[in-house]
Amino acid sequence: MAVGIKTNNLVKVFGETRAVDGVDLDIQPGEIFFLLGPSGCGKTTLLRCLAGFNVPDDGTVHIGDRDVTKLAPHERDTGMVFQSYALWPHMSVVQNVAFGLEMRKISKDEIKKRVGEALEMVQMTDRATFKPNQLSGGQQQRVALARALVIHPKCLLLDEPLSNLDAKLRLEMRTEIRRICKEAGLTAVYVTHDQKEALSVADRIAILSDGKLQQVDVPEGLYRKPVSRFVADFIGETNFVKGEVTLFDEASVNVRTPMGTVISSQSPPERLELGQEVTLSIRPEILYFNDPPSGSLNIFNGAVHDSVYLGEMAQHQVKVPALDSGYADGFVRLKAFDLNPKIVAREGSAEVQLWFAPEDVVVLAK
Amino acid sequence: MRRSSAWTIFGISLVIFGVGFLLPLFRVVGGGFFADGHFTLQFIQAVFKDAIYREGLFNSVMLGLGTTFLATCISLPLAWLANRYRFPLKSVFTALVLVPMILPPFVGAIGFQQIFGQYGVINAALNLGPIDWLGNGRYFGVILLQALALYPIMYLNVAAALANIDHAMDEAASNLGCSGFTKFRRITLPLIMPGVFAGGTIIFIWSFTELGTPLIMNYSRCASVQVYDALKEIQSDPFPYALVTVMLVVSVGLYCLSKFLFGRQNYAMTSKATTTFKEETTKGWKTVAVMAPFIVVIFFALLPHFGVILTSLSVPGSWYQSVFPQDITGANYIEALGHDMTVSSIKNSLTFSVLAVAFNIIFGIAIAFVVVRSDIRFRGLLDALAMLPLAVPGLVMAFGYLAVSSWLSNLDGVKNSPFLLGLCDVKTNPTLFLVVAYSMRRLPYMVRSAVAGLQQTSVTLEEAAANLGAPPLVTIKRVTMPLITANLIAGALLAFAFSMLEVSDSLMLAQRAEFYPITKTIYELFQLIGTGKYLASALGVWAMLFLAVTIIGASLLLGKKMGALFRV
Repeated sequence: MAVGIKTNNLVKVFGETRAVDGVDLDIQPGEIFFLLGPSGCGKTTLLRCLAGFNVPDDGTVHIGDRDVTKLAPHERDTGMVFQSYALWPHMSVVQNVAFGLEMRKISKDEIKKRVGEALEMVQMTDRATFKPNQLSGGQQQRVALARALVIHPKCLLLDEPLSNLDAKLRLEMRTEIRRICKEAGLTAVYVTHDQKEALSVADRIAILSDGKLQQVDVPEGLYRKPVSRFVADFIGETNFVKGEVTLFDEASVNVRTPMGTVISSQSPPERLELGQEVTLSIRPEILYFNDPPSGSLNIFNGAVHDSVYLGEMAQHQVKVPALDSGYADGFVRLKAFDLNPKIVAREGSAEVQLWFAPEDVVVLAK
Repeated sequence: MRRSSAWTIFGISLVIFGVGFLLPLFRVVGGGFFADGHFTLQFIQAVFKDAIYREGLFNSVMLGLGTTFLATCISLPLAWLANRYRFPLKSVFTALVLVPMILPPFVGAIGFQQIFGQYGVINAALNLGPIDWLGNGRYFGVILLQALALYPIMYLNVAAALANIDHAMDEAASNLGCSGFTKFRRITLPLIMPGVFAGGTIIFIWSFTELGTPLIMNYSRCASVQVYDALKEIQSDPFPYALVTVMLVVSVGLYCLSKFLFGRQNYAMTSKATTTFKEETTKGWKTVAVMAPFIVVIFFALLPHFGVILTSLSVPGSWYQSVFPQDITGANYIEALGHDMTVSSIKNSLTFSVLAVAFNIIFGIAIAFVVVRSDIRFRGLLDALAMLPLAVPGLVMAFGYLAVSSWLSNLDGVKNSPFLLGLCDVKTNPTLFLVVAYSMRRLPYMVRSAVAGLQQTSVTLEEAAANLGAPPLVTIKRVTMPLITANLIAGALLAFAFSMLEVSDSLMLAQRAEFYPITKTIYELFQLIGTGKYLASALGVWAMLFLAVTIIGASLLLGKKMGALFRV
């Protein structure tokens, strides 16, 4: 039975640092929820508050209807997968997986049956009698997952479970974890600093920085509509261009930038004023070169140089002449990703016409 | 761990330390500085004014310095060679180097005298007259004996420090054109200095106040023997108190100095092993050159042991003015085991040591948990307190316990109750005091091993158990304990071996023959005219055998090399 998880104004202080600083989460039953942020942002501390290893200094944690804020870890009925896996080296795979069931005083026959099922689910049946140090990293990770799942926990907590695996295995396990959670209908809270992992597996993602929630949204919401410079910069790559609002209504905003007026038709931030200083986020992959469709807005002349050719795509630097002659060295520089590239300028530069769609440009208040 | 349980253990520990460790020291210092409730420096001054006491203190300091210096000279080259070269029988040599630890130096002194004494082996072999090699040089005899018995402590510390050096540092020096002795002096030595100082401090404190060896060697002009001789006047005479106070101040001062100099300077290696270091396999003459120092040191270090073994095998009186005993017999062993005093002494030592070690295991684990697994303030203080017994000489502690006992047994409530008198008066029954003394003195080994075990065991292993529903005590039983068993056994074994061989407390606190531990019995037997020396040696050999079997057995059980057990 999946349950939701709620935190209310959660605060955890270590010495001078507020590792978790007033976090309100509302995780739905059956949801795969990601905590994403740079190292030291407080995401692991937040997860450990849910598991009970950290006692919050303020605020509450609810799992389902139960207030677990003051409850000891062993009374919370969560299943956790640790970054280091934390498999007990003195117990075999079977003993590791059976431990949680023994703690729940489940009959021997039932334990045997459920351990067997759990090992089958992670395809580790043939390694049942091995000790953890006889297993590869990927196999250990599967055992850790089986150990957390076999107790049928109220929710699954995962602390960077894939960070110790090689790249290929990580890709496999991503889909595997999502499949297992969805089949079991589990609520899962997943901590990572790998944005690809978060974007590909999550139902919803919370971005954390300095112990505070920056934005909570579905993956494509975070990527396409970041609410702050921090989020836009943290997820994916982007170009920031500063400017001043010259015209706006409910549907679009005109911003005067050093390279000319840029039009955005993304829903703009609330409380915009004429003349307000804003930052535009223009992602490298929204830039196109030459032959703009008729009626296109946001068309600029520039020069491509310093191309890096990667086969399926190329990364370019684009120099757009600044209208204001006093601006930097006279150019606005943009990163551009070009799929199926036709232009490659390793040395020298190539003149291009640059264009991008107004609905892809994000206006940020700061 | 929960703060409330951490604070509970913290509180209990403070009380135990207060009563078992600080109270005796307090009695010593109180006796040295106070007369009729008034603070006074006159006793301390009197100690320094008195020519005999002054000479005793000076000699003791010189004994300590000499022993430490000699032990360093012996062990530094050995540790360096063992770290650097692979040679035939290396594991045998490196194990034999540690053997002196299974015999207290004062027992070795009996064998030593048989060899170097006036009517000993050397004079007989060289056909010389009754020259007393030890004669006026008994002083150097004591130093030599102590150094030969204590150098393993230095060896283990240096070996550990050397093993910890990233070999890339060595290679970096070579790469920049530095080699040979210059490299050792400029790179290796500074890096192992904390280890050298740690070992040196323990050896100095040990030898500075060693009681058994000077007693057997009949060298009475040092402070420890002067204190022992003055014990009878413990009720009335303030001078032994003052003398012991001075020894305490010197030892603790040195300990603090070494902590201050090197405590925080334990050079953190930037990386564990960037290059895997292969020991150089020696060839030809180099093998001989590397093995020779080991053979020489092991020969001299085992000389006292051979002396003891040969003495124990001699028909009483038959090893006199001859290279080897004239008549060999096994009777001493049988007689030693049949003697009233020896049988009870083995039983006593076992009782005291087992009780002390059992207490240490429980107490050591509890302290280690607070130090490693809790976040309460002052946990560092608890750690430091548990290490403090290393800084206080056994003689000082023994004197302190004696002072506490004499103070307690003169209280009205105690004097009139036979039960309380049995507990508190060492003259009636020293069991309580000896158990407390043994456990307090050996606690550091237990705490260190348990702390190391917990530090090596990732806390997430315990968290994983809690996450799966195991309450704290179940987690400790099912996860933590199995993982730190090896460390606990190692620590307990060290504590047990050192308790069985304990000298100062045993000599001073056990005052009735029925409560003598092994070491005191050996000393008392030695003083008997006639067969005493031979029985004492036989008992010494029994003790050696017993400890060797215990240690080897446990090391087999642990599947580790013997040396790993003695990482202080």
